[in-house]
Amino acid sequence: MNTFPGESASWEGVDAYFTWAGSSGMLVLFTLVTACICLGVIIAAARHESETAENNK
Amino acid sequence: MTLEELNVFVTTQANVGMEAYYWWCTGLMIIIHVGFLMYEVGATRMQNAVSSGVKNLLAFAFMIPTFWLFGWWIYLAFPGGFVPIDLEGYGAPWNVSMGPMLSDQATGVFWAAFTLFACTTASIFSGAVIERIRISAFVFLAVVLGSVVWILAASWGWHPDGWLVTGWGFHDVAAAGCVHTVAGLFAFGVLLNLGPRIGKYNDDGSANDLEGHSLVLSFVGLLTLIVGFFGFLGACLIWAGSDFGGWVNIYGAPATLSSFAFNTLMGLAGGMIGAFWWSKGNPFWMMSGGLAGIFICAGGLDIWYPGFAFILGTIAGCVIIPANNWLHNTFKIDDCVGAVSIHGVCGILGMLCVGLFASGFPAAGDIPASNLTGQIVGAIVMALTGFVPGYVISYIMKMAGWLRVPDHVQKAGIDKAELGLQAYNQ
Repeated sequence: MNTFPGESASWEGVDAYFTWAGSSGMLVLFTLVTACICLGVIIAAARHESETAENNK
Repeated sequence: MTLEELNVFVTTQANVGMEAYYWWCTGLMIIIHVGFLMYEVGATRMQNAVSSGVKNLLAFAFMIPTFWLFGWWIYLAFPGGFVPIDLEGYGAPWNVSMGPMLSDQATGVFWAAFTLFACTTASIFSGAVIERIRISAFVFLAVVLGSVVWILAASWGWHPDGWLVTGWGFHDVAAAGCVHTVAGLFAFGVLLNLGPRIGKYNDDGSANDLEGHSLVLSFVGLLTLIVGFFGFLGACLIWAGSDFGGWVNIYGAPATLSSFAFNTLMGLAGGMIGAFWWSKGNPFWMMSGGLAGIFICAGGLDIWYPGFAFILGTIAGCVIIPANNWLHNTFKIDDCVGAVSIHGVCGILGMLCVGLFASGFPAAGDIPASNLTGQIVGAIVMALTGFVPGYVISYIMKMAGWLRVPDHVQKAGIDKAELGLQAYNQ
């Protein structure tokens, strides 16, 4: 796995450049952030619905 | 050019061709969502038109990251049942396979195609619940259906190593089971807990027609949806390269895109004609009949004789209206677009038809030949895999007060109350 820009500066022997994800920790972090965004938006939408329902009584 | 150079050239061209094929199939499948959006918005009353569209778009948006997070991994990991096989990380989102790799021209485009299959599955459910489901609840259920439930069923019955395939000879090349039956029965389970729209049923049990605000929009949407399904069905075939003689079906047996072309079009036409006749000219049912005609042929789309596909399509077109009426009268559900009937009932019929009319069709390798028992088992598994999670999860959400839009908001109109918008200037 490589990062760009990083130590490697050519495609010789390289299969992929994963920008900003040069370690397993970063890959897991991106995965968690993606999951949190999805879940957080659903929760936020549910709260908005409850508030508007209350306001429209 | 040496023989080795020629080999590299041919292999490279085959890989690029494969990538491009699935890329464009994926693009074409997005048209399914244009169609579903128009269809559902048209079938919605004017006061809820925007929220119906928003709901549909959100299903699409949420399916993509969640299918990347866990949907694709589920497909790869669970062909044996409920215990995952060891993939050494492949398919997990933190694995390098789920990103751009020069040595892997297949994973990205196959993931994309399956993601759009997932979006389609969720959209099938979407139309059934319009005008009274909370948008957040719908998104959650759509993720459960699109990124977990259907893909688990696909791993069992739409995967060359799936236990339904290797153990029972289950044959369902174009996903009559894992997409249409699962989505239709999931919708049925949710509808039982969600309840009908305000005003749908009277106290004496009689039903009222809550007509959508634009039949023309629904009509055109359904035809648009059919255009998109050519991308869906095209992506159901595997471009296996020269090593396997070109196209194979998803189970690895020889197949052709020509067979899909014959039977998709003949099933479509049969369904439209059958529903036109049965409904006495209702355009909504006529176009829905076209879809149902494709779905009843989907299980054996690679093997039907086109004339037979036409007959199957005609039967589907005639079945969907009485099936829809029976479901409404018996269970008092409010399936606004007939999704349970069109997708659920015709999906089940499609699987059974393979057992009744194509038993003995040979499969690849050690997979048993198609047979009626295998198709019946597959149909039961697909129906339960859709219904049980849909019913149980929506029941829990109902108990938690997180499923249905309150009655006073329904009466005021969801667009105005929740979104502060209206679809049209009046």
